[in-house]
Amino acid sequence: MTEVMSGPAPYIYVSTRMRVRKAKLIPREEYLRMLNMSLSEFTRLIEEMEYKREIDELSASFSGVDLVENAMSWNLAKEYQRVITLAPGEMKGFTRDYLHKWDIQNILTILRGKTQDLSDGKIRAVLVPAGELDATMLDRLLAETNTERIVEILPEKQMAKILSAGLAEALETHSFGILENKLYKYYYATLIKAARGGMRGGLPFLKYVTFEIDVKNITNLFRILAQGKSNVSTSDVWIEGGSYHVDELERLCSVESMDEVVDTLKKKIKSPVLIEALESLRERKPIYAIEGMLIAAQLNQMDNVSKRNPFSISPLLAYLERKKYEVSNLRALARGKEAGLAPEILEKYLVM
Amino acid sequence: MALNVKPTRSELINLKKRIKLSERGYKLLKMKRDGLILEFFKVLAEAKDLRNDLAIKYARAQEMIAIAETVEGHIGVKAAAFSASENPQIDLKSKNIMGVVVPKIEARSVKKTLIDRGYGVLGTSAAIDEATETFEDLVETIILSAELETTMKRLLDEIEGTKRRVNALEFKVIPELIEARNFIKMRLDEMEREELFRMKRVKSKSEK
Repeated sequence: MTEVMSGPAPYIYVSTRMRVRKAKLIPREEYLRMLNMSLSEFTRLIEEMEYKREIDELSASFSGVDLVENAMSWNLAKEYQRVITLAPGEMKGFTRDYLHKWDIQNILTILRGKTQDLSDGKIRAVLVPAGELDATMLDRLLAETNTERIVEILPEKQMAKILSAGLAEALETHSFGILENKLYKYYYATLIKAARGGMRGGLPFLKYVTFEIDVKNITNLFRILAQGKSNVSTSDVWIEGGSYHVDELERLCSVESMDEVVDTLKKKIKSPVLIEALESLRERKPIYAIEGMLIAAQLNQMDNVSKRNPFSISPLLAYLERKKYEVSNLRALARGKEAGLAPEILEKYLVM
Repeated sequence: MALNVKPTRSELINLKKRIKLSERGYKLLKMKRDGLILEFFKVLAEAKDLRNDLAIKYARAQEMIAIAETVEGHIGVKAAAFSASENPQIDLKSKNIMGVVVPKIEARSVKKTLIDRGYGVLGTSAAIDEATETFEDLVETIILSAELETTMKRLLDEIEGTKRRVNALEFKVIPELIEARNFIKMRLDEMEREELFRMKRVKSKSEK
């Protein structure tokens, strides 16, 4: 069979498959029903869903809610790997770029685990091979004892370059925080570059990325402000490419009046959800309490982009994000029920 | 009770000196005991408040870790926890409360800024910050609590010891010394009377 790699055909093919997959995701009403279930009822329901196979596979290694969480993470990883496989041509490259977030998380977890002399088993339990680095590659990285060697054998060379440039400092200071920030900044820069690369749906997707960067920058600004005044430079934590300039965000870090910060931020945004979120922050609501609202707004924006550009990269990305939050919601329900959180509190942390 | 003392004048003087010393020691120890009890109640009130504070902070930390695990999952929380490479450092000094050496614990590097915590700001959420902050608070309170609880324990031990010494002086040492003094006094008087009688007899015989 000849694979069609150019023209609208691959987009139509992938978008249709993604739409079908997205339609199978758990609807809002189902989550509301799950909220009122007991933990045992909930886990029984999960076992009857598409996560059954992973639950059976992992039941020898994990138990209880850990089993549910790990099974869902594995299901997510497998699903993402399947999506990478079925996306043809330039869409595959873009999907890989988009999923690099997971690679960053996995590489840093391996490096941190290795520097703390944790066993391979302990590190493996925290890895989610949902990015370009699949389980086999992650196992290869885990088998290496030398951190420099781990960086050397990474297939993504630009990421390897960033890692090798900052590795010595990270090992000396026992902190991978700066390196982690650099990798995420590179991730967003790559996404912006790829979105501008002429792909179908690339430019509308760029708006979504800008929105995500704004959300990240705003939440990080408030996270830093919540820590109180500090003389430490924060230039590392800002992502370029959003509505705010890095210098502007750095300056806002030293402003003491919350109202002034909110007013300055509001000048540059139009999104009603972000404005509402900023008003909540003015009232000193905790940031973690409004993060769910912002993510829901991000997903809705992604859905809108995907509906306006039905045969583009957007339906694929919309599915990836929705799938991620399905897993996140189910995990939140399992963990929340285990911790005895009330359904009304738990509902706040669900992205529906 | 048979007293094993020599009924001599020098022994009486010695005993009088010991009684005086014991009574002075008794008064001082009683004052020390009362002072220690006052100090103990002060520490107890502080420790009580701190225990309540500890219970509240523990509950809050548990709640926040539950929320962090709800938002980020156990995997996300564990991955962020891998960043913590440094253990909190404590400086152990000592201070003196009425002769009782109690520890003074100072903690270093428990509370850190968001940037210094070791995890990347861009790869984590505010729920992790909140959980970390509440646990930093909890560890600080535990360290403070360790200082106060040890102080309380040492004060109690000292109060117990002082009380025992006060009681020993009050009910055993001093009464025994007084009894010995009285015995010597009585024996000396008796000896004086015997001597007088003997002298009188000798005089009457020599006159005959």
